This record gives sequence, C-alpha cells and structure tokens, in this order.
Amino acid sequence: MFAASDLSSVRLPDFARTTTFRWAVTVASAFLLCTLALFGFVYWQTAVYVMNRYDILLVKELQVFASNTPERLLQEIEDRLAKDPERIKIASLFGANGSRIAGNVETFPSGLTPNVPTNAVVVRVDSGLREAQKVRLATRSLPGGENLVIGRQIDEITEIAQIVVRALALGLLPAFILAILIGIVLSQRAHDRVLEVNRKIQRIVAGDLRERLTTSGRGDPFDQLAVSVNRMLDDIESLVREIAAVGDNIAHDLRTPLTRVRVRLERGRAHASTLNELRAVVDQAIGSLDQSLAIITALLRIAEIEHSRRLEGFSQVPLGPLVREIGDLYEPIAEDKGVALQVESTDEATVHGDRDLLFEAVANLVDNAVKFTPEGGHVELALHHHNGQTQIRVKDTGPGIPEIEREAVTKRFYRSDKSRRTEGLGLGLSLVAAIVKLHGFQFAIAPGPGCTVEIVCPQAR
Amino acid sequence: MPAVQNRSPYQSNAGDKPNRGPAVPLEAYESETISADMVFRDGAMASVLLIEDDSETAKEIRAELGDRGYAVDWAADGIEGLDKARSGEAEVIIVDRLLPGMDGLTIVEALRSGGMRTPVLVLSALGAVDDRVRGLRAGGDDYLTKPFATVELIARVEALLRRPADSRDTVLRLGPLELDLMERTAKRGDRVIDLLPREFRLLEYMMRRKDQVLTRAMLLEEVWKYKFVPQTNLVDVHMGRLRHKVDEPNEPPMIHNVRGVGFILRAPA
Repeated sequence: MFAASDLSSVRLPDFARTTTFRWAVTVASAFLLCTLALFGFVYWQTAVYVMNRYDILLVKELQVFASNTPERLLQEIEDRLAKDPERIKIASLFGANGSRIAGNVETFPSGLTPNVPTNAVVVRVDSGLREAQKVRLATRSLPGGENLVIGRQIDEITEIAQIVVRALALGLLPAFILAILIGIVLSQRAHDRVLEVNRKIQRIVAGDLRERLTTSGRGDPFDQLAVSVNRMLDDIESLVREIAAVGDNIAHDLRTPLTRVRVRLERGRAHASTLNELRAVVDQAIGSLDQSLAIITALLRIAEIEHSRRLEGFSQVPLGPLVREIGDLYEPIAEDKGVALQVESTDEATVHGDRDLLFEAVANLVDNAVKFTPEGGHVELALHHHNGQTQIRVKDTGPGIPEIEREAVTKRFYRSDKSRRTEGLGLGLSLVAAIVKLHGFQFAIAPGPGCTVEIVCPQAR
Repeated sequence: MPAVQNRSPYQSNAGDKPNRGPAVPLEAYESETISADMVFRDGAMASVLLIEDDSETAKEIRAELGDRGYAVDWAADGIEGLDKARSGEAEVIIVDRLLPGMDGLTIVEALRSGGMRTPVLVLSALGAVDDRVRGLRAGGDDYLTKPFATVELIARVEALLRRPADSRDTVLRLGPLELDLMERTAKRGDRVIDLLPREFRLLEYMMRRKDQVLTRAMLLEEVWKYKFVPQTNLVDVHMGRLRHKVDEPNEPPMIHNVRGVGFILRAPA
C-alpha cells in the first residue's frame, strides 16, 4: 500500500517523462525479448540436434557391442573405458540378477526401455569414488540374460547453454543499455526543443507577437510544425496590426466630427445672440453627429456582409436590367454635374447572387465614379462578355487610383485623398469588395488613365 | 472652419439643403420650401401606443408626438405592451425591437395571429437588412433604424395612419394634376407633362400619398426599393427633375420641399 503510493508519487526526471523516452524503452524492451526468443530457439535447436546425434551413436554402439561374443564384449567395454581419459563415456554389463559384471556403472538403472536412449543419473565407480553423473543411456538385454548399458555424459549441452548465455550477456546487455542511453539523449533533445517552444509561446502569450519559433532547417516534422506555427503567428500579427489600424481610423473618423460638434456647441453656447444663430449651430452639430452615425452604420454593414451567410438567400439575378436600372438612377445626377454617363449592356448574363447587394455594389461604383469625375468628364458603365467571363466595368476620367494604393482602397477606411476633405466615408470600395467576395466574384482596379474598376463574374450564364 | 460637408443619411434637420448643388438648383424653389410645422397635420388626438424600454427615448418620443397633438400611451416592457396593444385603443403602435420580457417581433406576431390589424412601426438599433426583412415579415408595417430624426418618426406614423386606400381608379387626380395609370400619361390642366418612366413612378407614389410628408428614406425604400443609404443626394436630384416638369415657373407650386424632412405634394392653394 505504502510502496504503491510512494511509487506513484515519485517524480521521474524530465527526460523520462517524454514520449520519446517511453518509445525508446518500449523499442529496447521489444528488441530484448526478440533476441532472447531467438537465442532460446538457437539453443533449443542445437540441443535437439546434439542429442539426436548422441542417440544415433548410442544405438549403433549398442548394436556393435551386443553382436560381440561375451569375452570380446568384456574386452570392448574395457577398451572403451580405457580410451576415455575425459571420462565421458559409460559402459557396463550386468548379470541377469542385476549384479555388475564389468564397466563403470554401480547399479543397473531401472525403468529404462531397451534400445531407447534416455536421460538418467548414474553413479560411476571407475575413479575409485562414487560419483553421480548426468548421462544419456541406452540398455539392451543380451541373449545370455545379461544387460548391457552404454552411455555418455551430456554436460556439453549445458556448456552450449552457458555459451549462449555468455553471448547474450556480452551482446545484448550493452545493446540494451545503449538503446536506453540513446533514448535518454533523444528525449532530452526533444524535451529541450519543446521547452524552448513553450518558453517562446509563453512570451507570445504575454504579448510579444514578434517572437518566432526557431527552425533547424532540417525540414523534419518538428521544423514543419514550427514553420506552420510561425506562419500562423505572421497572420495573427498582421491581423492584430490591422485591427489596431482600423481602431485608430475609427477613432480618427469618429473623433473628428465629434470634436467639431463639441467645439461648435461650446462656441454657439458662448456666442450665439439670437435664436436663429443658435439653431444654425445646433443644425451643424446634428449634421456632424449624423456623419459619425453614418460611419458606424457603414462599418456594421461591411461587417454584416463579411460575416454573412446569405448564400441561402441567393437567387438568379439578370445583370442586364440591374445595370440599366443603375444607369437610369444615376443619369440625372451625372447630368447635373456635367458628367456624361454612358450605359452599355451587351451581355444578358444571369448570376447566382443577392440582387440587393449586387445593386448596392454597382451603384456604389457608379456613385464614386460620378463623384470623382470633374465636370466635362465621362463615366462608362458597361456589362459585357470578355474572355468567357461576364464583366461589369465602371470607367471614369477622374483622377484615378495610383498603383500603390489599389489594394489599399478596398480596405476599410482607406481614402485616396489623405487630407480627408473629399466627401465620402472611405468605406465605399471596401463595401463593394466585401459584396464581391461574398459572391465569389473578382474585383479588379485596372490601370489608368482615370479609374477603371471591374467586377468579374466567372460563373455567369 | 469648414462647413459640414455631409448630407445626413437620416434626413435630420441638418440635411435640408443638399450641399453639392445639382444643375437644376433647388434654390430656385426656395420659396416653395416650407417648414415642417406647417405640413404635419394635427394629430387630432389620434392615439399612439409606444412600447419602448429606454425611458429617455420614450420621454422624447412622447413629448414630440404630444406636441403634434397625438395622445401617447407608454409601456416600458413587452408584457405590459402586449396587454395594452390587445385592448385595441391605439391607432398606431410603435414597438422597440429589443425589449425586456418579450421580443418586439413576438408582440407583433402575437397581435397579428390574434387578428389585430393596427399598423405597427418597428424601431430597432439593429440596422441589418436581414433584420428589417424579419421585422416586416413578422407583421410590422414599417421599420425604422435607431438613431432616427424625430421628424422621420412622425412622418412614418402619419403615413401609417393614412395608408392609401387600395384604389382601383386608373386615373389619379389632385387639383389640376391628372395621372392616367393605363395610358401612362400625365397632365397639369391642359398641359401634357412628358415624364420618363422613373419620374412617372415617383409622381404616382406621391399622388397616392398627397398632402403627406414623404421623407427621403421613405422615397428610397418605397419608390426605388433601395435598401441602403446612398452617398449621393439621389432623391433630391430626381425630385428636382420631377418638380421642374410638374411646376412650371408661372404656375403655383405643387411639390414642396419640407425643411429638414423631405417633400410633400399638395394641390395649389
């Protein structure tokens, strides 16, 4: 009870608790068991083979001895024992009453089947001392009623066993210890790497997003994992930066109008001398508040579209009528501004989508184009088929978008006019980008002159 | 200090004059611009039930509607609201979307399943298009996103109180103005007005709601089926075009700009 609880509370060294180490021990143990089984088999096979050869010899000797005349037999027994300085061999002749006639065995071993070699322990008497010996024996009754016993010592088999065990001890034990040592080294290294990764992750969790996991460059699974984690960290870092930037932009875009409200109200309260003056101040303040609210609305709208699962609400939308309707809607606005709006729709394609959102996207593009094109300029809204794809193109003769800013304008809050005097919330194109992305279409801003934006609908029919 | 450069998307007082002037300057019609006080009809004790949990908002709405002659009953939560609504005294119900005790839409659904036809205006801080659709599907007659200008709310309440009769007339008339829905022609007295289809649609909507203040948001939603706030002063430009054709310089004006609210079509005085 105590022992068990003590054992479970023993804290293993760090390396011993790693998976690598446990695997090393497991593999080493399996290797050990296999080797033991192999050696055991070799020993067993050898012992069987040696024993067989003894048995065949014994049976042959028995026949040779038995075929001799009694006198010659005694001589042969004597010869056999005399030619055996190693005292390996056994030979004896017993009378029918069991008394020893010749040879080196004290008493006739009982319970043996004639002509079948059997293991037995006999007492030798030839050295002058009684000496028990493990032997292989075969007996045979002679025609005169005597019993012949022929045998040999089988210590050799024990010796083979000893050789095998020695070989095992010399070969296997070092191998096993080596395997465990390698396991310790490997697990220590794995443990160190994990420890290092863990340390870095702790730092990252603590807020240092610039930290990266080190890679050995060997391309092993651990490296691949580190590369993946680093890529994930890159993404997280850029997202966090983006969020921070968006936050700054929101703060800027909301603070500016709100500051104006505050200043106006303060000044109005101090200086307005008539009710009408005060009203003018309040009107301006409400205007600025509405501007702030519009920013919030636009942001929520983009978030709504970006996280939308409206796909189930999609239906077949014919693009021709949609484009013509937008042209119809914006034609007077363009005309008032002295901008020529040309609508061209040569493709009667139908797309799978949300009509209201597509309308909003295209209307936004036209709205932008009309807004940024100076008087006397030209805006073209075209729906056409090009390279097997349906395109909605809005082209204007306005200032255009510099190449370096083309991707940035689709981000929230970006505005080409850095001074932020141009009307617009800086959210129009990011809204369009969100809608286009939701539909799986592509959005491209082509190089100038002027500004050319395209919505490419690959799956239009 | 630069002037406010943004048209209010909420049609508040500040957004009266579109700042980027169209080629047909609205200033030409400045004399036709009238103040909101002159066009909102007296509530004539029409009773309104307001179900709104925020007491500050409720107070302002009650004061504003009270000033216009409405009798406003107020319920601060959904359960009380549903009880009062079921009594059937209210002619219009204004219900907030998110209420303690009961969801605003649940109230509307409960009323409709009980066979109650009282017009309902749903207020919501959730501005999503889907949410709007849900509000109307639940049985709401109109949907207004918070924050809103109070004049917008009043215009909507009035519109609900005076829902156009489902007229089967094929000719609409207002003073000298005549709109033939079959022939798609318009006349003012003997003068034929040549209208584009989009202008015809706008004028038809206005004639069905004569003497009623129409806000820009209402026109966008109803005439153009627009579900978002455009950055450009779309409504003003289109209205300018229509007014140019309906009211010639020597004729007394019929389309009026209502300061800070929207537009109204009236027979010439």
